[in-house]
Amino acid sequence: MNVEVNVEEKLYQNRYRIDAGRPHIRIKQPDLCKNDCKSQACTFVCPAGCYKAEGNRAVTLITDGCLECGSCRIICHDHANVDWEYPRGGHGVLFKFG
Amino acid sequence: MRERFDAIVVGAGPAGNAAAYTMAKAGLKVLQIERGEYPGSKNVQGAILYSDALERIIPDFREDAPLERHIIEQRLWVLDDRSFVGTHFRSDDYNKPPFNRYTIIRAQFDRWFSQKVREAGAMLICETTVEHLLMDGQRVVGVRCDRAGGDVMADVVVLADGVNSTLARKAGFHPEIQAQNVALAVKEILFLPEETIRSRFNVGEDEGVVIEMVGKITDGLVGTGFLYTNKESLTIGVGCILDDFKNNPKRTAPYAMLDRMKQHPSIAPLIEGGEMKEYCAHLIPEGGFFAVPRVHGDGWLIVGDSGGFVNAAHREGSNLAMTTGRLAAETIIEARAAGKPMNAATLKSYKARIDDSFVMKDLHKYRHLPQALERSPQFFSAYPELVNRAAQTLFTVDGVDKQSKEREIRSSFRASRSLTGLMTDAFRLWRATR
Repeated sequence: MNVEVNVEEKLYQNRYRIDAGRPHIRIKQPDLCKNDCKSQACTFVCPAGCYKAEGNRAVTLITDGCLECGSCRIICHDHANVDWEYPRGGHGVLFKFG
Repeated sequence: MRERFDAIVVGAGPAGNAAAYTMAKAGLKVLQIERGEYPGSKNVQGAILYSDALERIIPDFREDAPLERHIIEQRLWVLDDRSFVGTHFRSDDYNKPPFNRYTIIRAQFDRWFSQKVREAGAMLICETTVEHLLMDGQRVVGVRCDRAGGDVMADVVVLADGVNSTLARKAGFHPEIQAQNVALAVKEILFLPEETIRSRFNVGEDEGVVIEMVGKITDGLVGTGFLYTNKESLTIGVGCILDDFKNNPKRTAPYAMLDRMKQHPSIAPLIEGGEMKEYCAHLIPEGGFFAVPRVHGDGWLIVGDSGGFVNAAHREGSNLAMTTGRLAAETIIEARAAGKPMNAATLKSYKARIDDSFVMKDLHKYRHLPQALERSPQFFSAYPELVNRAAQTLFTVDGVDKQSKEREIRSSFRASRSLTGLMTDAFRLWRATR
């Protein structure tokens, strides 16, 4: 499948009001992703590419592009390592069309 | 904000708006809380509006609702990598008002619906996230918002907070959603000149086409694609069961799947030149009948996606949302008129109402479908390929006699799946949809 996709380019079209310094999703224990999670499925399932697999097997999360779907929380069922809330009222993605 | 309401509705999507509108219209003191900047700003749908469910709430909605195109043609495509076999159903009967369904743009439609809710007398506060329910023992007595002094009390709380069902989950009314019970869908809106859409899809002004797709576009995962015509834009998207995305050995990202779909030789010419102005993702509760949680209790009711009310087989959701919202409201109105307390025993009649409506009847009819599809991934990869190869073999004129071609087609099916396998699949699908 030779499709080079840059999800940032897609997200660039969206409107967001970022709650600076207050991410609404957190990885509870980063070491758990590194040591106990083989698949690290969040790094390819997240439709906004918020989760990145780093070279040292760490998973980093930047929620700025989050589309608030909830997939990451649900697929992390076995480890329950995602602390997931909606953004504060009025923050996060603001769909123009939806 | 220690004001007391007859009812609080959390969320301003189709379910929440239907509930708030119906209750406000009946004279109840209703507070509706929405976390988006405006109603619709957090909401994502394909989106098709089915008129019937809305007509039962706002009969004259066509007068001012923002509608894109009424659908006159339904296409169903089964795709492999280079071709598709499809059926098209087009009828001029769908050009006779009142129209049966429309494409809509949810950010605009939800805003309109919300305006109606406020005109009916409900109070709406936006930019406010409900953090959790306020409980008195087992009983829901109000909500806590993320504002200073944000506790609000009510006799009953209608949970229309969407597919993640955050509030009921936090309150322990039901466990976490399972990945095999939701589909993750991504979509883009592509803008094109109005006349380009008309000529490409062979439709007149205000007429629209819906294309539902199944096959290799989902890379072997259980899922579907869609392409809808709006007035001056197209919506294109693809969704698969979340558990399939998670376990896919190819580790395909949803947006990569969508981009590949956009490059399909049968799809690319339809969307060519479209200017992408938004990219969305959303979960769709597709677990069906067996995944519907308990939807009522002491002081609370669940409506819409939050209760898993989606008929995945028929791509219906917003109509189930509006219907459950309306039925919840009617339950509350009737209980209040009878002077009954809003406890589980009273609100049980909501369950009876949805059981008696098309909502649970349809979910019940297709109750085995999710499991049947889960166990037969060949419906999404092997069969689409076989059907397309068969068509190509049959329609290619190359000097080979037709009987030999038929034999080749038959053996291609058996080579890919044993006769027993074919029969089992047919039986499973029949049993799951009868």
